[in-house]
Amino acid sequence: MSVRIVITSGKGGVGKTTTTASIGVGLAQRGYKVVAMDIDTGLRNLDLLLGLENRIMYDLVDVTRDNDPIPYKKALVRHRKYETLFLLPTSQVQNKDAIKPDKVEKLCNEMDKEFDYILLDSPAGIEEGFKTAIKPAQRAIIVTTPEITAVRDADKVIGELGREGIDDIKLIVTRLRPKMIEEGDMFDMRDINDLLAIECIGQIPEDEAVIKATNRGEPVITMEDSMAGKAYKNVIGRLFGEQIPFYKPPKDSFFTRLKKLFGML
Amino acid sequence: MEDIVKIKGMKAGLILSFTRGAKFDEIRANIQNKLESGNSFFIRGTTAYVSKDTLPTDQIEVLRKMFHQHGMLFRTELPKIKVENPKTEPIKKLPPEEDPQQMIVINKTLRGGQEVRTKSSVLICGNVNPGAQVIAGGSIDVRGTCRGMVHAGAFGNTKAFIVADQLIPMQIRIADMIARSPDKMEKSETPERASIKNGHIVIEPITR
Repeated sequence: MSVRIVITSGKGGVGKTTTTASIGVGLAQRGYKVVAMDIDTGLRNLDLLLGLENRIMYDLVDVTRDNDPIPYKKALVRHRKYETLFLLPTSQVQNKDAIKPDKVEKLCNEMDKEFDYILLDSPAGIEEGFKTAIKPAQRAIIVTTPEITAVRDADKVIGELGREGIDDIKLIVTRLRPKMIEEGDMFDMRDINDLLAIECIGQIPEDEAVIKATNRGEPVITMEDSMAGKAYKNVIGRLFGEQIPFYKPPKDSFFTRLKKLFGML
Repeated sequence: MEDIVKIKGMKAGLILSFTRGAKFDEIRANIQNKLESGNSFFIRGTTAYVSKDTLPTDQIEVLRKMFHQHGMLFRTELPKIKVENPKTEPIKKLPPEEDPQQMIVINKTLRGGQEVRTKSSVLICGNVNPGAQVIAGGSIDVRGTCRGMVHAGAFGNTKAFIVADQLIPMQIRIADMIARSPDKMEKSETPERASIKNGHIVIEPITR
């Protein structure tokens, strides 16, 4: 039996795919057999983040088409480093309606025995692509940034998930900028938790390492020295119910602040 | 027995015609009856038409008053465009009637984009998030934080009120009045109640 988790957000560009890639690697590091499915047909990215673009032979459209479908095993791409992590890419040339929700659910049922985890990387929005991604899911991870637009969209998406009967929903907040929150220019975690009222399993700081990792095709969780990498490591722990406190950046000391004031830092 | 007041539903509203020779008192009683029966024909904001020459002016004025009391519009002339085709457009079916005294209970948080619409009162055990809407014919009680749009007494009941543990909605509407939130919102620690007093929406703290 596999656990099927959809990673979704409503708003675009908040880090769904980054999160999917890192969770995929994190689970594989723990020895689980994982397949990460890209449902964002037409705007696929997950292959880039995993650095597997050049190994794609077949895609989700080939696997789920009516006439002469390809067996899914032919479409799976094994990760170079983590041998229990597989990517099921989608098509970059077709668009969202090339894939039917029922077919994806059937495919998940087929893969059920082989994998421990099926991760569904949802596209932004709440239209067809989103519906395809949530149909097979039992659990959901909502990704949001601490901006009002993203949080509102997340709220809407939680409502939509509830309507589909998915109520195991966890939250990951990305691109946190401690300084902006301190100064009250950003939603802080309390505001977000107040509004969304779902369990938060990740607070990912804004980190240049994320951009580096993305461009290198290595999920940021593998950059173990980076803040974002550590934060994603903790996400995996919390997924398994481990009690891990959220990281708080140390406050600047009086002298550091003084030095900053005089432009010495 | 044939009804002495005939109602024809049209796009523009309801057209009333009366049996020839019927007494005005009977007509009035008949309409009064229909208005009070809560018949789904008589939705607030619907326009009723009575041809100008069927009744003397003073009687028409009496009818006008009756319809206005029930929140309907009243006219003696049909808008010109719609006269040619008298019986198209069936009347829109309303959801089954709920008595305003009744209350429905929502046992979850209403999130953005979700809506509750009812003729009765509503008890919400959860929050009403921004972007959510509650429209009730009666009153609204939120056992949680209310941040969305709430409309109590949506069918004209000015005595309806809104209670919430934390009342910080985008807009409060009671009957036909609207109050929007101040641009800088203060959080209140005590439950509050909004109601109409002296023609204004007033919010006051309550204990419960």
